[in-house]
Amino acid sequence: MLLNRLKAGGPAIAKQGILVAFILFMIVFSFMSDRFLTPDNIMSVFRQSAIIGVMALGVTIVVIGGNLDLSVGSMLSFATVLVVDLHDKVGPELAIPIMVLATLCLGAINGFLIGILRLNSLIVTLGMLSAIQGLVLIYSGGQNVDIVDQRGTWFAIFGRGSVLGIAAPIIIFGLLAILFHVIMTTTPFGRKVYAVGGNPTASVFSGIPRSRIVFTTYLISALCVAVAAIILGSRVMGSQNNVGQGYELQVLAAVILGGTSLLGGAGSILKTVLGVLMLAFIQNGLILMGQPYYTQWLVTWVVIIVAVWLDVAAKRGRLFSPIA
Amino acid sequence: MSNLTDITPLRWLMRNPIWGFVLLVFIFFSLMSDHFFDYRNFQNILVQTSTIGLIALGMTLVMINGNIDLSVGATLALAAAFAVDVQSWAMFATWGNWQILPAVCLALLVGLLMGAINGFIVWKTGVDAFIVTLGAMLGIRGLVFVYTGESSFYAMNFAYSDFSALSVGPLPVLAVIFLVCTLIVHLVLSRTVHGRNTYAVGGNREAAVNAGIRVGPHMMVNFMIIGFLAALSGVLLSTQMGAATPNLGRDYELWVITAVVLGGTKLTGGKGDIIGTLGGVLAIGILRNGMNLMQVPAFYVYVILGSILIAVLFLDKRFNRTEDGGLRL
Amino acid sequence: MNKTMRILLASCGTLALATAASADTVRIGITQNNVGIDSYQTTYERAFIAAAEANPDVEVIVLDAGGDVARQISQMQDLIQQQVDAIIIWPTDGQALVPAVRNAHNAGIPVVVTNSNIAEAGMDFIAAFSGPNNIQQGIYSAEMMCDALGGEGQIVQITGMPGYTTAIERQQGFDERLAEMCPDVTQLDIQPGDWNRERAQRTMETFLTRFDTIDGVYSGDDNMGVGALNAAIDAGRAEGMVFIGATNFAVGYDAMARGEYWGSVYQSPVDDAEAALQTALDVLAGEDVPKLNYFDTPKITQENMDEFDRPVF
Repeated sequence: MLLNRLKAGGPAIAKQGILVAFILFMIVFSFMSDRFLTPDNIMSVFRQSAIIGVMALGVTIVVIGGNLDLSVGSMLSFATVLVVDLHDKVGPELAIPIMVLATLCLGAINGFLIGILRLNSLIVTLGMLSAIQGLVLIYSGGQNVDIVDQRGTWFAIFGRGSVLGIAAPIIIFGLLAILFHVIMTTTPFGRKVYAVGGNPTASVFSGIPRSRIVFTTYLISALCVAVAAIILGSRVMGSQNNVGQGYELQVLAAVILGGTSLLGGAGSILKTVLGVLMLAFIQNGLILMGQPYYTQWLVTWVVIIVAVWLDVAAKRGRLFSPIA
Repeated sequence: MSNLTDITPLRWLMRNPIWGFVLLVFIFFSLMSDHFFDYRNFQNILVQTSTIGLIALGMTLVMINGNIDLSVGATLALAAAFAVDVQSWAMFATWGNWQILPAVCLALLVGLLMGAINGFIVWKTGVDAFIVTLGAMLGIRGLVFVYTGESSFYAMNFAYSDFSALSVGPLPVLAVIFLVCTLIVHLVLSRTVHGRNTYAVGGNREAAVNAGIRVGPHMMVNFMIIGFLAALSGVLLSTQMGAATPNLGRDYELWVITAVVLGGTKLTGGKGDIIGTLGGVLAIGILRNGMNLMQVPAFYVYVILGSILIAVLFLDKRFNRTEDGGLRL
Repeated sequence: MNKTMRILLASCGTLALATAASADTVRIGITQNNVGIDSYQTTYERAFIAAAEANPDVEVIVLDAGGDVARQISQMQDLIQQQVDAIIIWPTDGQALVPAVRNAHNAGIPVVVTNSNIAEAGMDFIAAFSGPNNIQQGIYSAEMMCDALGGEGQIVQITGMPGYTTAIERQQGFDERLAEMCPDVTQLDIQPGDWNRERAQRTMETFLTRFDTIDGVYSGDDNMGVGALNAAIDAGRAEGMVFIGATNFAVGYDAMARGEYWGSVYQSPVDDAEAALQTALDVLAGEDVPKLNYFDTPKITQENMDEFDRPVF
């Protein structure tokens, strides 16, 4: 039946698979826990998802461009340790720009290897994941870093401040999401990223500088990591060397859940935001229901596959894959 | 595949640059550490390599298919948990040392099953294997925690952990199992219809379909092979520990993929072989072992391994381009 | 720079060192759990190397398992291969290292277990254990929690990385002692914080949404405890809430000084490392060493914190 309906083209709804899944999911969870849909909880989940969310924006653009970025987790550890450590040494007004520059350098290395030298992005960023993890440890000597004057520094506004009752991380995440959405949908750069990811060969023939576009997507990804590091460092007022470990996969899961194709050329910033929120609400909702932490892994397994399946099914107009 | 007769050692190395690299690090560590060049150390390296190596064999097939499997680390942990726990089930209490047999069989079956689930989902839904197995990586790890209740299992029976200390002639039994599996998978890939189909499906899926290959079931078989090998690897690892821990095998998928790619298998599918993969896992095994012996601080090991991975990828691309361009050396 | 130098020395000098090692120099290999995951382990490593360098008769081989059991087993093999005089191991898992320790024992190399102990089945194969008692630390924390709450209240618990021995033992000691000493203190829920302050903060935020009354928070260490404290302060609910950790960190010490954090358990990585090395040396010297050498890990609270130095980690 579902098959027929998909074929007959209830496509308007079917194509919004992630949105439908999200709404269904919220309804089910709100029945399971009466705390789930309270304003406090929603705000708290939004705030918690900001760090993963900001990183996911950058990775979405990389993936639309036809590549992967697995180094964002290590890069987050690097950036957070750097900004927190420098905060007490040179003050936040210098620490932030130095950290942003250093992180952009890492992004540029990724961009150079993948964009200019055309090496495989999965392997390059896997190598960078390991190398940057080592760099962090060498830099900090393996020690945790902390900001001593936690209450007195203006650095606190990024993680703990609020405007009109909305927490700063939510505002930063929201503004960046809108900004990148506009860039990807209305500017020539955005169109070129889609073109490069969708059909690399054709895009080169039509005169799009593929190398430069790919290079730029990695710079954007690194920039997003830097912003996430500012939020994280400010929220926690300290950092440890493995703080971003495993984030690359959570970020990627959110991007995938948002329906961005790993083949490149298709995807949407706003849907990534939905993917991020959905993962955050799953985690939050299951803890609210008193489930042990590992239930969320099982639920995420099912949700990812079903959501992406529906998305793929809607695009090809039939539920099951045509491969024999 | 070119004629056997015109393969000189130099050309062979050109085509398998990873073996050149293996040779290089081998000589390097032999000169730098006086504990490295020692027969017992070679045994150690083989045993240490067998864990990643077994999974890498399966990953080679899956990647030549144009797929990937990120869930192998979790499958390994699940199989290890079964292998250790089932031994102590009351129904096998009177079996003596034979209680190990049903435990190991069940563990391997679990691996096959996990592979089958992944393969079936990839086949039927048409969702990218990367996504399917990324989900499974989380989900199967969840199953491990559900099953173990987050604590470690251990084998009461020392016969189980003594198994890993056995030798067949001059080689430790774990190394023998690994080498035998390597040979079998090599033969399957290079001499059988299934092997030819593996290349065909990864190289040009449409042509493979037209040639009458049932692509879906074919891919599912390869996922079952890797599930089985991950489980076997988990069982062997658990014999070394006499125990199974819920966090076993974390990040192994990344090391396995690294080894396979170092060995020259292309992520885009259609290209690769077991000889290269063996070189890839040996390269990582020798590097880790050698750096341990030379006491390179752990922090630097991360940087060195990461850089080598990128460097080899870069060199590989240069070499291959030379061949594509028709330049002869 | 220091580290770079060490690599260079290690790489150029291994041959020289090995041949120059005289008969009365002892070579001790250590394989650690996961240096760099937190400052405790890093400080431990430094203190260990410093203690070894201070003793001209000792040469050490320092390895790190990166939290991976299989890698630690490999490192045990590598150490046995090098025929060191003694091995010190900080097990990534108490159960899974038993056969590896047994192999070392069978090869005639004495093994000293440090920091967190090996499972019962392996006790026959070790020369000695040296370290804190993680279960006891959990017990101390439960007692402090009991005192602080006056025997009544609702608490939540944030544990370390699931599946690791240290996390499990600190939880076990706490749960058992709390149930026995203060049956009227209820634990609302237990969730992991992965030894990570930000994750602990997130977990606490969800607890705060879920429960209207939380009187106390027990964390597997102060790093996570301060994350929970941050969350409570942000929610305006830290007032009167009791925060207790199972290992004192500098951030916890500072928060105690500000009166925001109630108490913790004082454990010095320097003592830990020096005790391990000394135990190994005693074993090699043929002295009669007791099997279990727990060093003292006293309770530290706002009241008695003046007696302790600020932790260096």
